[in-house]
Amino acid sequence: MKKLMMFFMVLLGVTGLITGCSNNEESNAQGENSDETVELKWYLIGTPQPDTEKVMEEVNEYTKEKINATIDLNLIDWGDYDERMQVITASAEEYDIAFTSSWANNYSLNARKGAFLELNDLLDEHGKEMKEAINPQFIEGAKIDGSLYAIPTNKELGQQAVLSFNNELVEKHNLDVSDVNSIEDLEPLLEVIKQNEPDVTPIATFDAYLPFDFILQGEMPFAFRLDGNTDEVVNVYEEDVTMDTLKTMHDYYQKGYIRSDAATSTDSWPLEVANWFVRKELYQPYAEKVWSRSAGYEIVAQPLHEPYIFNGSVTGSMQAISATSQNPEKAMEFLNLLNTDPYLRNLLDKGIEGEHYEEVEDGKIKDLPARVEKFNMPSFAIGNQLILKLYEDDPEDKWEAFEEFNDKSIPSPALGFYFDTNPVRTEIAAISNVTSEYAPALLKGAVDPEEYLPKFNDKLYEAGLQKVLDEIQKQYDEWKKQHGE
Amino acid sequence: MKRLKKFGRNLYSNRIWLLMTLPGLIWFAIFAYLPMFGQVIAFKDFRYDADGFFASVKNSDWVGFENFRFLFSTNDAFIITRNTVLYNLLFIVLGLILAVGVAIILSEITKQKLAKVYQTGMLFPHFLSWVVVSYFVFTFLSMDRGMINGFLEHFGFEAISWYNEASFWPYILVAVSQWKGVGFSSIVYLAAIVGIDRSYYEAAMIDGASKWQQIWHVTIPMIMPIIIILTILNIGNIFSADFGLFYQIPRDSGPLYSVTNVIDTYVYRGLMTMGDIGMSTAAGLYQATVGFVLILIANYIVRKVDEDNALF
Repeated sequence: MKKLMMFFMVLLGVTGLITGCSNNEESNAQGENSDETVELKWYLIGTPQPDTEKVMEEVNEYTKEKINATIDLNLIDWGDYDERMQVITASAEEYDIAFTSSWANNYSLNARKGAFLELNDLLDEHGKEMKEAINPQFIEGAKIDGSLYAIPTNKELGQQAVLSFNNELVEKHNLDVSDVNSIEDLEPLLEVIKQNEPDVTPIATFDAYLPFDFILQGEMPFAFRLDGNTDEVVNVYEEDVTMDTLKTMHDYYQKGYIRSDAATSTDSWPLEVANWFVRKELYQPYAEKVWSRSAGYEIVAQPLHEPYIFNGSVTGSMQAISATSQNPEKAMEFLNLLNTDPYLRNLLDKGIEGEHYEEVEDGKIKDLPARVEKFNMPSFAIGNQLILKLYEDDPEDKWEAFEEFNDKSIPSPALGFYFDTNPVRTEIAAISNVTSEYAPALLKGAVDPEEYLPKFNDKLYEAGLQKVLDEIQKQYDEWKKQHGE
Repeated sequence: MKRLKKFGRNLYSNRIWLLMTLPGLIWFAIFAYLPMFGQVIAFKDFRYDADGFFASVKNSDWVGFENFRFLFSTNDAFIITRNTVLYNLLFIVLGLILAVGVAIILSEITKQKLAKVYQTGMLFPHFLSWVVVSYFVFTFLSMDRGMINGFLEHFGFEAISWYNEASFWPYILVAVSQWKGVGFSSIVYLAAIVGIDRSYYEAAMIDGASKWQQIWHVTIPMIMPIIIILTILNIGNIFSADFGLFYQIPRDSGPLYSVTNVIDTYVYRGLMTMGDIGMSTAAGLYQATVGFVLILIANYIVRKVDEDNALF
């Protein structure tokens, strides 16, 4: 009994301490007056850089003058970002802007759970210039039930998987890659490499390309077809094309074109090491140049399909304003400036002129060592890419090529449909487990699809696949009705 | 009034000791007791509220036991529960035998310096993270460059695809877990053995007891209370598996799930795509509740058999 008393006394003291602190903070925030300079807290994905503070001083000087706000930029490393943001959001910390996307700090989940502010009106009021600068397809595609919850980065709009080849090997063996349009087409080339290049693994492990619009991320089975009946939600792993593609992959695996431990290997196949012949990448205009530059030898690419605009590509990189933000208008003004003002955008991306980069002829630039070592920012994650300065070896028409690429990208049938997982959470948890058990080995060709696909599908149905398919179809039909077509 | 006075006097006379426990008490209050209020999230459909965490909890809808359903709804539920419980039982029994055995051996080594070297060597793996250990294991088991397959091929056997063959993994996991844990868990037993009064052994020797008899009739009975306490506490964790061991060591290999999927990895894989706080809280609450009940049962049994050795 005595001990219990003691314990509760301590507990009371501690609770008092904690609530006391948070009360203080609140009163500080409310004391702010609209004429005062506002500090905006911004969480961004990327490895923390030593020169951030130095550059941010310049940024703040500029933003203070332009919109009377300063920026407190917090970079969180790639691997930690998702988890840290979950904690920050769950604890309802007061921050203003955060990076969100389909693959880290998930956009649609957070938006549905109320973590982000609805931006439709704010964008019209404080982000007019930005709204014009960003391709409207981005903004339309990112709307969840008509509401926008984050500002998409203006960049390549479509997603296009390509096969890229080590051109040295292509030329050495006089191969012709221009006819390769699918994984099946690779066979004769792979054979030549396997026979003549004992030190090369022909295929740098990749997941088979399957022509679907996937509704949930990763390998989860729910998707819409890209042609044929595109209004019906399907289980990818029951489709004929999946069986055929995976058979090809497994054939390659058995012939030794793929590494034997492909299913569990975490090898990232760095470009600098020329121990591969073909790999799968996502394309953007002039990507071969970028790859060749970092590889140190020439790389050529062949598209597997036309570029498609998916939810995932539209929401691949965005900035959201937190529901807990005390100054959402200012945050929007800042995002507006960031996405339209080339000086600010380049400053945040390339650093300070003369220190991190230098100008060469006609407005093109060259990195100085300090940029690489001390201010290597994740360019695509920050904002509008099409107002960035070009590097000296960039093609003159790089950004025009982006716009052209965007114009020819085909919107996927379910672009803008965001599935609300809440009614079938239990089933999705079970299906996630089944999927991570079977999908990696199948997609990499490591197991025989004739044996494992039926097993996989049986377990998927056991885990409640049909219920989820029905729910998706129901939500999709409703969405389709609202968007009238 | 009188009782309160007595309580105050009691506090005062023990003030030094109470002060010493204060840091630990505060730690427990903040990190173990305060978060307990959060358990209500297990029964809610958690949604964020702009007014802070407590507002989020308050304004989320009640959903009853909905969040617990995913732990029981599929056939996998049986497999993960079976795996978790059986592995943990094995770890408890084997861990006890190995740890006590090692502690006895170490205490019998007469060269103190050598004993210290062994002890440190065995303790070392405890401080490695599972990720590092998983690469150790990988150097042995890798398909094309692993040491074991190297041996097998050298002697004309066929190489084994270790990360695809579920049948080996119960042994591998048990071996790895004991290799990593035995040094640390033997410390407590070693301390207990060192604390045994030497005169017991002298008396035994005079009676002509051999080394084995001394161990069996003196050492083990003397450390029995510690063995029982630690075992009861371990039983409380029987529903919680060591995530790193079951996730990192098999390299998340799908074909091994039937023997490597435990409650913790199942929850992780299931909620990775959704990040649902309500469901993960539910899983934690389920494990803790079952563990708590098991501790009560184990303690009850011990008390029936030998009241002095019961935990409470």
